[in-house]
Amino acid sequence: MTNDQQETTAGTTTVTTPSDREIVSERVFDAPRDRVFAAYTDPERIPEWWGPRGTTTIVDEMDVRPEGAWRFVHRNPDGSESGFRGTYREVTPPERIVQTFEWEGMPGHVLVETATFEDLGGRTKVTAISLFHTSEERDGMLASGMESGLTETHDRLAELLARG
Amino acid sequence: MVQYQEAGVDQTFAALADPTRRGILERLGQGSATISELAEPFEMSLTGLKKHVRVLEDVELVTTEKVGRVRQCTLGPRGLEDAQQWIDTYRQMLEARLDRFGELLEQTKGEQQ
Repeated sequence: MTNDQQETTAGTTTVTTPSDREIVSERVFDAPRDRVFAAYTDPERIPEWWGPRGTTTIVDEMDVRPEGAWRFVHRNPDGSESGFRGTYREVTPPERIVQTFEWEGMPGHVLVETATFEDLGGRTKVTAISLFHTSEERDGMLASGMESGLTETHDRLAELLARG
Repeated sequence: MVQYQEAGVDQTFAALADPTRRGILERLGQGSATISELAEPFEMSLTGLKKHVRVLEDVELVTTEKVGRVRQCTLGPRGLEDAQQWIDTYRQMLEARLDRFGELLEQTKGEQQ
């Protein structure tokens, strides 16, 4: 898969997997960049779009500034809840937001999501890059004997990503 | 039971978060092994390794069977399906998120930001 997709057509989300631990999604919105960025970072709007259809998203915390924390909770149709949390690492209006993403059901597996907002003159291209980090990378506990095993794990992850 | 399965997904990801346990799964992918065969490359006590195997067994990633005086370990029936499920779920979340975000922008077009 390549990234040579239609870049200026509004309304279609393109998802690609350029490396074994990366998911890239792109979409062009028919709205100016300032408005897109403002909506993206508005806690009051989050419940309307952040979660999958059929779930209710509750904003528990959303402090959009470097080192600020966020925590959202999905209420699933069956009444169960899934919590998601992270920290904003970079907030550069109206161009770029970098934040960590962790599902509370899988502690230690941290994704770093980088969203860039590109001005296309009245329209805006949003590119979201999600990079998977394993817990041992985060904790710096990579034992030398485990490297080949980890490579295989990453290969397997890549296969999973390619298949999806 | 739905609740049991949901807890299982969480437990599976917790089980996979440990490098030794992923190493055990890699090893068992090449064929079954006894506890002491598994312990050898990890330079770990049998007791320590047994604990890891127990965690994997609880989430059905590994099955064990006592054969004579040794315990034989084999990859369980569930494999890595749950890990795949999480990644697929995340991917679907991303797509739905941007789709819904687009709808929100359409709906709020006239509003003053």
